[in-house]
Amino acid sequence: MHYRRPGLDRLSHALLVLCCLLFLLPVWLAFTASTHTPGELYSQTAPLWFGEAGWDNYRHLLDGSVGGLGTDVLTLLINSTLMALGIAIGKIAISVLAAYAIVFFAFPCRRLCFWLIFITLMLPVEVRILPTFEVVADLGLLDSYAGLILPLIASATATFLLRQFYLTIPPELVEAARIDGAGPWRFLRDILLPLSKTNLAALFVIMFLYGWNQYLWPLLITNDADYLTIVVSLKRLLTSADGLVPWQDVTATAVLAMLPPIAVILLMQRYFVKGLVDSEK
Amino acid sequence: MATLRLNGIRKRYPNGITALHDIDLDVVDGELIVVVGPSGCGKSTLLRTLAGLEAISDGELTINGRRVNELEPAERDIAMVFQNYALYPHMSVAGNMGYALKNRGMPKDEIRRRVAATAELLGLSELLERRPRQLSGGQRQRVAMGRAIVREPQVFLFDEPLSNLDAKLRVQMRLEIRRLQKRLGVTSVYVTHDQVEAMTLADRLVVMNAGRVEQCGTPMALYEQPATLFVASFLGSPAMNFLPVTVHRDGVVLPNGTQLALALPVAMPEGRVTNLGVRPEHLVEAASRPDTAAVLDVTVEMLEPLGADMLAYTRLSGLEEWLVVRLDGAHAAHEGQRLSLTFSLADCHVFDADGRRVSMTEGAAAKAQACQ
Ligand SMILES: Nc1ncnc2c1ncn2[C@@H]1O[C@H](COP(=O)(O)OP(=O)(O)OP(=O)(O)O)[C@@H](O)[C@H]1O
Ligand SMILES: [Mg+2]
Repeated sequence: MHYRRPGLDRLSHALLVLCCLLFLLPVWLAFTASTHTPGELYSQTAPLWFGEAGWDNYRHLLDGSVGGLGTDVLTLLINSTLMALGIAIGKIAISVLAAYAIVFFAFPCRRLCFWLIFITLMLPVEVRILPTFEVVADLGLLDSYAGLILPLIASATATFLLRQFYLTIPPELVEAARIDGAGPWRFLRDILLPLSKTNLAALFVIMFLYGWNQYLWPLLITNDADYLTIVVSLKRLLTSADGLVPWQDVTATAVLAMLPPIAVILLMQRYFVKGLVDSEK
Repeated sequence: MATLRLNGIRKRYPNGITALHDIDLDVVDGELIVVVGPSGCGKSTLLRTLAGLEAISDGELTINGRRVNELEPAERDIAMVFQNYALYPHMSVAGNMGYALKNRGMPKDEIRRRVAATAELLGLSELLERRPRQLSGGQRQRVAMGRAIVREPQVFLFDEPLSNLDAKLRVQMRLEIRRLQKRLGVTSVYVTHDQVEAMTLADRLVVMNAGRVEQCGTPMALYEQPATLFVASFLGSPAMNFLPVTVHRDGVVLPNGTQLALALPVAMPEGRVTNLGVRPEHLVEAASRPDTAAVLDVTVEMLEPLGADMLAYTRLSGLEEWLVVRLDGAHAAHEGQRLSLTFSLADCHVFDADGRRVSMTEGAAAKAQACQ
């Protein structure tokens, strides 16, 4: 929508800037706070500008003694990244195949299958967390990457979204491919996946963030500090034993925790834009 | 090079609709068969069963004498051009054209060579790197043709390939398809609901109605000797005029009671209701035929000047439909004018009450059976 009214333009810009500032303020506060010494943080209100201790604070986190967590921030980041990547890639792989089967193959009970998948949308992780824990524990997957990833890997949401996209693919395209001698795998690889590139990039970002932000599940199944994720560690830092919260550590960890998701978004953004420009319809 | 034989092909969809009833057809090598018929008569279904996209419920389909009922589309060695082209949007023109060859495991050089040769033939050489969305409708159509040609298949199948083009381009592509088909000599089945396209393209024409073949033969044979009322009304534009008449002792009686002294070509019992079909171009002014006995007095209600011709929509009392007459373009007719029209017996087609032709000559009867 574009109205030729300069006043309106300026007003909407002002609103936009205001909203951006509101969103950025906490991030800014965290960032500035992470550059002060604990003493400064306890003696004054939240600082709006950088302090002197930034370098030391961050190096301290990488040294391997984060507030008594028994591990360094790098391990936390790697754990989180592995978990989030595993969940995102796994979810996409499974949903692509599930949606492909549901849309393009006529097998008995395929509607039933779809609805079974669909109703699991209504079950959040928390509802099934106890039985899942039981299963994972029995399989001996506590304190392992497999245990972190596998239970979260099925996605009704992604299956549903991909199904909706596949349904928009003209049947003639499928038939043309059949006549051109493309079997089911070729069709998936040569036609369906390239056509859903944009959707997959978007799903990947959403699923990566979902995996990155998992809290309850990793908290439950990891005791070993080697498998601790960064989101869980933030909460641990807040409940430190001696009662004094190491705010400089918390904020610096939080800032670091934002970096991988931002990197993923920036990386995938290229594909959305390219996909949108390239797309046929 | 291929012959195609359909033997009692029947198609029943899972929902119980029988879209094809016992279709028999022999397509000889290099022939261009056009299947024409109104919407929903089963043309696409027929083509899709030939392609292998729909399973054949009953009957046998052979290509070069080999039964192909159970073969996958890719194994039948056919190529199909779709109405909406169905180009792969994410592949370049060259990619689209070469995809089938790639799936066959043909070496890259060979693919490139064949794609280039086909592109040359169709005037697509400049466009090989473009994506389908960067092409005009006509160019897309060409790419779709190229995708079919490059495979050098046994049979081409076309499902209304020109219906998304504008009128001028349609005429141009029609000529081009005809030229290419003759040049490549590939047996083809072409589906359309446009009867002009059908008449101009076909070596032989198959007119379908409600899942059955009404008649099959050369375009002129069908035009001159339509076997049924349906074929007669379907071919020709404007359509044939029909006069419902009752057989009388010395001729026929029109609904308004006018007697026409016509000796029908076949003896029919008095009182039998039949349909007389006369094409618009065969109705002439009675003044030019002083010897005629069959005169129709009509009133001109509307005129459509087409340049060379003028179509007059006239009213014959007692008849619900217009009587359409093709007059000379320079004719000085005006709306409301009264005309006396006549026709010669040789130009009129007689159909009995259930729509079968009764005035069929022996030769035409034999030709109509030529599908089998
Ligand atoms: N997949 C299907 N399932 C059930 N019935 C179908 C299916 N496809 C077509 N039909 C029915 O079969 C009949 C023939 O359809 P078809 O598409 O062959 O017609 P057509 O001659 O190609 O028409 P048009 O000129 O409109 O394309 C129609 O009555 C249609 O409703
Ligand atoms: Mg059709």
